[in-house]
Amino acid sequence: MGRTLPSITQAFLHEQQSLARFRRALRREDQRALDDLLASSKNHLAAAAYASHLLPFEVMLLAMLVEEHKQVIGLRQQIDQLRAALEELGASAER
Amino acid sequence: MATLHGWFFDAYPAGKGMRIWLIDQQGRPHALSDGFIPAFYARGPQEELRALCKMLRARRAPVELRRTERRDLFLDQDVEVLEVGVRVPGLLPDLFRQAANAYPHLTYYDADIPLPQRYVLTREIFPLAWCAVEHEAGRIRNIEALDTPWDVEYRLPPLRVMTLRLDGELQDPNRGHRHDLLVEVEGRQYCFKRRHSRQLLLGMRHLLERFDPDLLVSAFGDSYILPRMLELSRHYGIPLPLNRDPQQAVAHKKAHSYVSYGRVMFRNAQHTLFGRWHVDRQNAFLASDYGMDGSLEIARITGLPLQTTARVSTGTGISAMQVATAQRRGILVPWQKRQPETLKSGVDLLVADKGGLVYAPIAGLHEHVAELDFTAMYPSIMVRFNISPETVGADCCPGKLVPELGTRVCTHRYGLVPETLAPLLEKRNRYKTLIRQLPDEDPRKETYKRRHSAHKWLLVTCFGYLGYKNARFGRIEAHEAVTAYGREVLLRAKEMVEARGFRVLHLYVDGLWIYKPGADQQPDYEALLQQIRDHTGLQIGLEGIYRWVAFLPSRVDPRSPVANRYFGAYEDGSLKVRGIEARRHDTSPFIKETQLEMLAILAEGRDASGFRASVPEAIHYARQQLLALRAGRVPARQLVMRQRLARHPHEFTVRTVAARVARELVHAGVTLTPGEKLRFLLVPGPEKARAWELLKGEVPYDREAYTELLLRAVESVLAPVGVDRTMLATWLLGNAGYWGPPGTLPPPGMDGGQPLLAGCRMHRTRWPQPCTERDDLLLRSLYDESPASLDQLPPLAPALLPAPSPLPIQDHASVRP
Ligand SMILES: [Zn+2]
Ligand SMILES: [Zn+2]
Repeated sequence: MGRTLPSITQAFLHEQQSLARFRRALRREDQRALDDLLASSKNHLAAAAYASHLLPFEVMLLAMLVEEHKQVIGLRQQIDQLRAALEELGASAER
Repeated sequence: MATLHGWFFDAYPAGKGMRIWLIDQQGRPHALSDGFIPAFYARGPQEELRALCKMLRARRAPVELRRTERRDLFLDQDVEVLEVGVRVPGLLPDLFRQAANAYPHLTYYDADIPLPQRYVLTREIFPLAWCAVEHEAGRIRNIEALDTPWDVEYRLPPLRVMTLRLDGELQDPNRGHRHDLLVEVEGRQYCFKRRHSRQLLLGMRHLLERFDPDLLVSAFGDSYILPRMLELSRHYGIPLPLNRDPQQAVAHKKAHSYVSYGRVMFRNAQHTLFGRWHVDRQNAFLASDYGMDGSLEIARITGLPLQTTARVSTGTGISAMQVATAQRRGILVPWQKRQPETLKSGVDLLVADKGGLVYAPIAGLHEHVAELDFTAMYPSIMVRFNISPETVGADCCPGKLVPELGTRVCTHRYGLVPETLAPLLEKRNRYKTLIRQLPDEDPRKETYKRRHSAHKWLLVTCFGYLGYKNARFGRIEAHEAVTAYGREVLLRAKEMVEARGFRVLHLYVDGLWIYKPGADQQPDYEALLQQIRDHTGLQIGLEGIYRWVAFLPSRVDPRSPVANRYFGAYEDGSLKVRGIEARRHDTSPFIKETQLEMLAILAEGRDASGFRASVPEAIHYARQQLLALRAGRVPARQLVMRQRLARHPHEFTVRTVAARVARELVHAGVTLTPGEKLRFLLVPGPEKARAWELLKGEVPYDREAYTELLLRAVESVLAPVGVDRTMLATWLLGNAGYWGPPGTLPPPGMDGGQPLLAGCRMHRTRWPQPCTERDDLLLRSLYDESPASLDQLPPLAPALLPAPSPLPIQDHASVRP
């Protein structure tokens, strides 16, 4: 008496299609950003399949956030490195 | 039998028929009568119809009753109806009321079409038509129009005009303004002292008899001059021939207020004449916009009398045109229980109900932006896609499906609405072409412009009309179909624009603001426009290319841009301004002038950096204006503000400015109706505001309050380059002076780390170039008045959209202690 669930890939695809109208009304630059996000959410298909109690769209949003946050952390680190390098430059110039 | 050629001037029920006035080529009026039997129709159960017949016969009503068949628009078939022909046309409204009261469950048709309109429709003529009339013993045998309402060039009768107004400044006499009566006719002016009212009356009677004008143009004639003269006439028992037709009394409609789209509106009293026209410039709808030329044009194409078209909103005009189409086709016109009073324009309505596609624009200053606009988008959609109340959702043929909604639209029957609008769109286009072709010095150009503007208003209201559920031929599904097509069309245009590498800065219902580096000439857009025309089937044009355009954020939340708050300068230097103070109805003329003049200065800049380069000059100008304001040199008249009275004066619970002004007027004996405009001056002292009409002589105004308003207006203009209130207060009120747009370097000696505040402390005693001793004193007083406020200024907010300039940032960093 097992239920047949749509495979998670199909579910993601379905959600993506239901966003078609939303996507169409966006500026092209925003469409590209949305496409990036949607693509990044696909990195976590396995985890999504495992978290079967969540709605596919919720998992999709979380997966996007995870990818976004990774980007933020990475950028933050880069800024810290750059700042340190600049301060060193400034100090040597004063000397 | 004689034939008369003349312009059709007036028609109204009189005696057993209609009284018709024509004006011949020499300007002579002719009165004739014409038999006319208008009918209304009733549909319903046989026994009720029989009972209605019985009642009408028992009351000996002058009616002709018969069973007949007529076409119902929505059923798309002939239905059996009772025809009630009324042999004395003037009695139709009353007989219909009796019938509707006695048998409210019957369906009534053709019951509330104004008789003058019915008459011209039946005779296939129209107001101001050039007619050939065969007549005998004062009765019309045949009347025929020799021109058509669709002619763009037509001759109008030579009208004799008499103007009436009160001496002195133009002010509402109902708010206490009293003065002598000035009458102008045939180039001569007559003045009647208001204290000698009997002489005034006799004088007026003499002038009316001697000059026999066709048209009275007044200022406040509807609400004051005409009712006052009629009162005097009754008081002295001296008849006053305001009407050309001595049998008729002046028609009077009372003032009233009503609610339209959640706003309380006011419609003033009306006094209309017979055989002669009266137009009150102060009570005319959009008179300033299209004037008499526009009103005459609307009368010709809608079939409504000029005294109506000069007063009502144009929504009524479209409604009348739909009625005319229905009557021509032999379709029954349903009785409209509630008349819409005014209609929002299509664009406003779309935004109101979120039917139109509206972007949040990319806030900030942009250069070389092109604005593309669909021409008359909604009416064009209705015509192109056959949108009409009876075609949308009809299942008579496979039809066409509305995008998004999937609703079926019939394609085998020509809709009533498209049939009505198509010639109108065409005529409007012809005027547009003529205006483009004629040289500026051609006197016809102005006339055509005003007619074109009248058409624009007619077309803009047709959409609101379609969606209005109480409208005669309104249906919400038709309205939704139009918005769905509107979104589809706009998105298609957007896709084509983006495919050609443009960036979409803003979309607003029927307009696109787009940018591509290098595309700053008209030819760069020809192919794109043609492609959009081909793929949407609608007309689209290049409204203009902007030297610069600024989309502004909301005042409430600076992070969110709002759709309709922007201003820009086109390539020819002309301005487009939306949603800022200069466009608001309550802004005083002085503030409006300051804002527009600043924009004119900035419009000299040919691009974004030109805008920035003009900022110092604009600020210099604003400062002069501010100095004049603070010195009390601005005439009070320039500072009058307006507000609509939203409720009855005694209903106010909060002491708002409007409440104070309303209370003052009521105490002075003025009757106020909600929806009326209040005019007032902000004054110092506890009363805060005074009614403008009650002020005598020059009165001091509230300099602080107006300073605040001026600063807000200046801020709106400069916000796109990152100037905020704090900076403005320092530049304009403090003595720090202005050294350039944000991001530029301060002059040497000034602390760049705390750019402006530190500056004003350092130079506290040095005033920027006072022109006169008076200026000098003024500046000192300015500064001393609010020394605390400068110290308490909050730290500078980060500039909204600073000019990208890396240099000053480095510099500031190096100066920081
Ligand atoms: Zn059909
Ligand atoms: Zn000066």
